[in-house]
Amino acid sequence: MIRVYLEGSAGIGRQDHQNAMYRPAFAAHPAFELVTDKDKADVVSVAVALDRRAETIADAIRAGKHVLADKPLAATLAECEEIGRLAAERGVLVVPAHHQRFSPALRSAATAVRGGRVGLPWNVQCDFLVAGGDPAPTGELVNLALYPIDVVHAMLGLPVRRVHAVGDPDLVTLLVDHEHGVTSTILCGRIAELADVRSSGLAVHRYRVSGSHGVLAVDAAKPALRVSTAAGTTGRWTGPSTVDALLDVLAAGVRTGRAALGVADAVHAQRVVEAAQLSLDTGAPVPLESEN
Amino acid sequence: MEPRSVPSSIGILLVGAGFIADVHSAAVAASSRAHLAGIVDADPGRAAAFARSHGAVPYTVDLAEALAWPNVDAVVVCTPNDTHRRIGAQVAAAGKHLLIEKPLATTLADARALAAEFAAAGRVLVAAHSHRHHAYGRAVKEAIEAGAVGRPRHARLAILGGWIWTGWDAWAADPVRSGGHALHNGVHVLDLVTWWLGGDPVRVFARGRRQTAAELRIYDYLEMVVEYADGAVSVCEMSRAHRPGSFGLRELLVTGTGGVIRQDWDGESSFLHTEGGTGLVPAAGGDGFTAQFESWLDAIGGAPSAMPVADAVRAVELGVAVEESIASGRPVAVGAAA
Ligand SMILES: NC(=O)c1ccc[n+]([C@@H]2O[C@H](COP(=O)([O-])OP(=O)(O)OC[C@H]3O[C@@H](n4cnc5c(N)ncnc54)[C@H](O)[C@@H]3O)[C@@H](O)[C@H]2O)c1
Repeated sequence: MIRVYLEGSAGIGRQDHQNAMYRPAFAAHPAFELVTDKDKADVVSVAVALDRRAETIADAIRAGKHVLADKPLAATLAECEEIGRLAAERGVLVVPAHHQRFSPALRSAATAVRGGRVGLPWNVQCDFLVAGGDPAPTGELVNLALYPIDVVHAMLGLPVRRVHAVGDPDLVTLLVDHEHGVTSTILCGRIAELADVRSSGLAVHRYRVSGSHGVLAVDAAKPALRVSTAAGTTGRWTGPSTVDALLDVLAAGVRTGRAALGVADAVHAQRVVEAAQLSLDTGAPVPLESEN
Repeated sequence: MEPRSVPSSIGILLVGAGFIADVHSAAVAASSRAHLAGIVDADPGRAAAFARSHGAVPYTVDLAEALAWPNVDAVVVCTPNDTHRRIGAQVAAAGKHLLIEKPLATTLADARALAAEFAAAGRVLVAAHSHRHHAYGRAVKEAIEAGAVGRPRHARLAILGGWIWTGWDAWAADPVRSGGHALHNGVHVLDLVTWWLGGDPVRVFARGRRQTAAELRIYDYLEMVVEYADGAVSVCEMSRAHRPGSFGLRELLVTGTGGVIRQDWDGESSFLHTEGGTGLVPAAGGDGFTAQFESWLDAIGGAPSAMPVADAVRAVELGVAVEESIASGRPVAVGAAA
């Protein structure tokens, strides 16, 4: 059994992903057991406030622990890169909680795209709209956008060359240029509470991948049932939990020394988010020369 | 506008008897207020054939001659985009009303000149932005105006296809004759979404591809992003670049302060499952060409136009900005901000 210590129960705004998501998932997962003594832990699950997150993760790494980090991994790109450097030096895993990429429809989609099913992809369009819940005091660009950025990254695996952003941090449109002239567009934000979506649930979450030989249209709200009652129609999820899948990746990583999701993915997302922020501030597209 | 006295049946001259002329002549035939008075086409064979199959109406290759026919009251123009400026000027000078296919013109200066000429002549000029009259276009506008989703903050509209132009010599694929794809088809989406949002465009950012062939001279895929004065944003896609060639999709998503309006690719269709795969069977009756024609007749009678000239000029301005933005890779200011 892999021993896990839960560090912190904070996040952006009033978020408590530790108790709402990670604790129950670790408790139920066959590969993990929760411990209360940090020294005895193999993994530290970090969900502290964003301004303390990088430092807490660094301490865990220095103590030789693997880390599951609530998202975003850290408040700045520089901190994300420093975490990557430190983790490589100490030979531990740091897995950022980009769990949306493990949504079952998106896992299949990434496999299909990487397997050439649409030929050479040339454009991705994404809508990622959360309904209701607490607006992030940081703006949703910092809070939510990394999810679709990460999904597109998982599908394309292509470095980003330029980022333009329009709208505002609560409902932002990201216009991303990747290597090989591939483009992606992400609409991301938080909208009003809706009758048929649970609070903070995804009202729209979909991707269209256009390629030289075909088109893949993915609705990440599937697999689901539609349940209609006097109160309205809601979707009832029938797929595996994305957080369970995240823990599977962490467990496999601890066993093998390699995880399918790591600091490099958080660095990628944070780089795009910071470029988008700069683009919103300046009104101009922001080139990213250094991404590889 | 003042009510205007109009003949009990308005005589329509149709100019350009090509692909889109059929839907316009069908709208004329379906109307109780108008009749086809004649045909003009630069190609005499086409003019003759079209005239013969439409009740043996008079035809000619000479627009000036046809404009002088006594029973011509108004003109529908369905000719290639680069001819709109000159043909429009002739119609204005002859004092006839005009329904002209989109784009109004291929440059902003030409569009403004046509607007000025019709204003001076006191005649009705309408550009055929037909999507405003299609059932879905109207339904989205009505839902927004009824406040169904609060203040609209974002709109997406994608009209994607895989059918490429007929050949290298197709005028639509010639950037000089068509104005480029942003002017040719992009204006449909740009106008519709801007009308939905009721927005005042301030900036355009666009990306284009030549996907089907590197040698294409126009972008078969366009992604056109418009920012509005109130902070709203639209993402408009127009494509002939998708594969398979049979691909056809329209989808829309409007995000407002109070909810979302959405129509997915299958939103007006049934599915037909056959040995060849699954296809769509669109519901009947959503087409807007008849409504567009009747609305133009209403405007000729003095009603406010459903497609004001200023909006047609603005669509050209947006299309031109799209081409500029793709060329420069930068956002382009439009409207008062330009
Ligand atoms: N609203 C829509 O959905 C829609 C769809 C297709 C085309 N259009 C527009 O309709 C117009 C015509 O397109 P089309 O696809 O029918 O083209 P087309 O090439 O099929 O037909 C054009 C016709 O105009 C004739 N012509 C060319 N120059 C002329 C001139 N100077 N005087 C008289 N006749 C002339 C040609 O001989 C031909 O018969 C274009 O402006 C196009 O943008 C609109």
